[in-house]
Amino acid sequence: MSAMELLLWARGPGLAIAAAVFLFGMTLRLIEIYSLGRKRDLAVPRSQTPGSGWRTIFSRSLPHADTWRRSTLTIVAGFVFHIGLFVVLLFLLPHIELIRALTGLSWPALPTPLVDLATVITLIALVVILVSRLLDPVKRFLSGFGDYLAWTVTFLPLLTGYMAYHHLLLDYTLLLALHILSAELLLVVFPFTKLTHTFTLFIARWYNGDIAARKGVAS
Amino acid sequence: MADETLLEILQRRGVSRRGFLKFCAATTSLLALPPSMAAAVAESLGRVRRPAVIWLSFQECTGCTESLTRAHSPSIESLIFDAISLDYHHTLQAASGHAAEEAREHSMKADWGNYLLIVDGSIPLKDGGVYSTIAGISNLQMLQEAAAGAAAIVAIGTCAAYGGLPHAQPNPTGAVAVSDIVKDKPIINVPGCPPVPAVMVGVLAHYLTFGSLPDLDELGRPRAFYGESIHDRCYRRPFYDQGKFAKTFDDAGARDGWCLFELGCKGPTTHNACATTKWNGGTSWPVQSGHGCIGCSEPDFWDAGGFYKALSTPVNSVSGAATAAVAAGAAAGIAIGLANRQRKARARGEHQTITIEDLEK
Amino acid sequence: MNSLKNIGVHVVHVGGNGNARAVLREVENLLQKLVTAGEESSIDLSGLPLSAEDYDLLEETLGEGEVVAEVHSLGPTRIHETGIPGVWWVTHYNDEDEVLAEFIEVAWCPEILLAPEDDVKDGLEALRARLFEMKQEGNHG
Repeated sequence: MSAMELLLWARGPGLAIAAAVFLFGMTLRLIEIYSLGRKRDLAVPRSQTPGSGWRTIFSRSLPHADTWRRSTLTIVAGFVFHIGLFVVLLFLLPHIELIRALTGLSWPALPTPLVDLATVITLIALVVILVSRLLDPVKRFLSGFGDYLAWTVTFLPLLTGYMAYHHLLLDYTLLLALHILSAELLLVVFPFTKLTHTFTLFIARWYNGDIAARKGVAS
Repeated sequence: MADETLLEILQRRGVSRRGFLKFCAATTSLLALPPSMAAAVAESLGRVRRPAVIWLSFQECTGCTESLTRAHSPSIESLIFDAISLDYHHTLQAASGHAAEEAREHSMKADWGNYLLIVDGSIPLKDGGVYSTIAGISNLQMLQEAAAGAAAIVAIGTCAAYGGLPHAQPNPTGAVAVSDIVKDKPIINVPGCPPVPAVMVGVLAHYLTFGSLPDLDELGRPRAFYGESIHDRCYRRPFYDQGKFAKTFDDAGARDGWCLFELGCKGPTTHNACATTKWNGGTSWPVQSGHGCIGCSEPDFWDAGGFYKALSTPVNSVSGAATAAVAAGAAAGIAIGLANRQRKARARGEHQTITIEDLEK
Repeated sequence: MNSLKNIGVHVVHVGGNGNARAVLREVENLLQKLVTAGEESSIDLSGLPLSAEDYDLLEETLGEGEVVAEVHSLGPTRIHETGIPGVWWVTHYNDEDEVLAEFIEVAWCPEILLAPEDDVKDGLEALRARLFEMKQEGNHG
């Protein structure tokens, strides 16, 4: 298969398969979660503070002072990685074009050299996170196949995207094909790994905030 | 006269040795070789016997021939084509009908094993190849017969090289490329829709000068002309690198010459000489005129998504697959949800306790 | 038709892209080789991405010398010595005055100006034949 054939497959059937598996998996997961329901809390709530769940979604983004002190590297690297990832994913023009083709939505792009810088920073943050996970004995003990898989499928699209833009090592057509295929790999494994936190995190935070409010510790 | 060298032909036409030197210098430049190779070119042209050339036109639009006859080094081109013995070409030859076909067969027999076969147009295979015939002979049959006695084959144009327009979905005639049929002869692919005239002349000049094939890439294209992508030689590249893109044709960005990525330019994945050699004798080329590259020298460029949709967009719509996936996911989710509830109810009924394994799931 | 005249023409100056300077450095390099080792060489200008500004800069920097020559074979070839002796600007045209190829030659003399050896030998024979004819006419005159 030539590089061009691979690219056309990635932009054609490959994308359809990846999108289908991703949507199937995420729909399934979310319905599974919601259909479990909650045990009805028959106790009287300690305080009547509606909206605590919603507020918690945002307030949980800022960790406790103690947590900052204990896990500074994890928090900083985590923030840098996530912000960098969103900048790269949502503000590079070719990506915006893709989203426009799929959904009709679009917004202004950032200058490409800025996004290029964000990519480098994000890649470095990911490496720092992995090294920290491997060096810390507790984290290493807790880490399983799913953790390393999630890291790899997130790292690959960023790396191949950077290589494609800079024409590093391989022919551009092949690099572009690999970049798109790596993103499709990410989509395919997404619903079956911890990457579902992208959506479930909002559900979890809302639930925790709501329960906490009922117990008298509102957000 | 088919045994003369090119030098002898030129001398017979009254061209002096200085003229021959000039011809060699210009040919060396045309072949994108360094000037120091002019001596090698001269030596070769003085030695190589001019071959017979048979040009077969199959399922094509004649654009390649049109492009070639617009090649802009008239003296070089006319000399090269006087130098070759163009024994058969539908559009350019004077003969027609049975006489033309007999001339072709005679030429093939006379120079069996040595002639250069040039093909433009794809070859339809469906229904026994009836969708394109010449004098009642299917293209497939004519190609197989002609290829058997050829020294080398040049597949000119994307149709001959990769199937081109007829090969595009749904390919109703079963069109295929020359290389899909001929497996035992050296083939040079010179794709483009049409190919750049100077490139066509350059490739033929290389073969006539050196009697051998130029260095080819993995898609069979001469690296001298197809080694770089449009993107890597595009004068608008600084704008791409800076993220300055034209949003619509003739907007402010377009008028400032910004990158045409958003307007569908396929420059990054297209290999051709348009950005350096340009068209119409170096006048301009699509991007310079404000239109994105359509990728016409790559296989399947007709099916690579729209010409005006960016390279990062999908080739086909995925909404069908997406809707089906969501529906299937919902159905599966509800089914699994119901099964989970049943299991939970049963577990409560049987007073089952929660274990660490349950929590780990 | 005033409205047509009011459409502003936005001229974007691309400017040179440094290639003229690179060519000049190459000329310097080749000229050094000519001086030290007597090696002659050329630079093919058609193979290089030179903008109009680059061309002008190249011509200006090299300047004009003492020699202008024209060769008539397969159309004209115009040669001029640049202001730097040993650096010649050679442009080959076809019969319709279109540029076939353009070179900067670094040599004692451009190759195309030298008389080809075989031509000289043929010329000697031709001259001897003409002298013989003249002698014959003289005898019969």
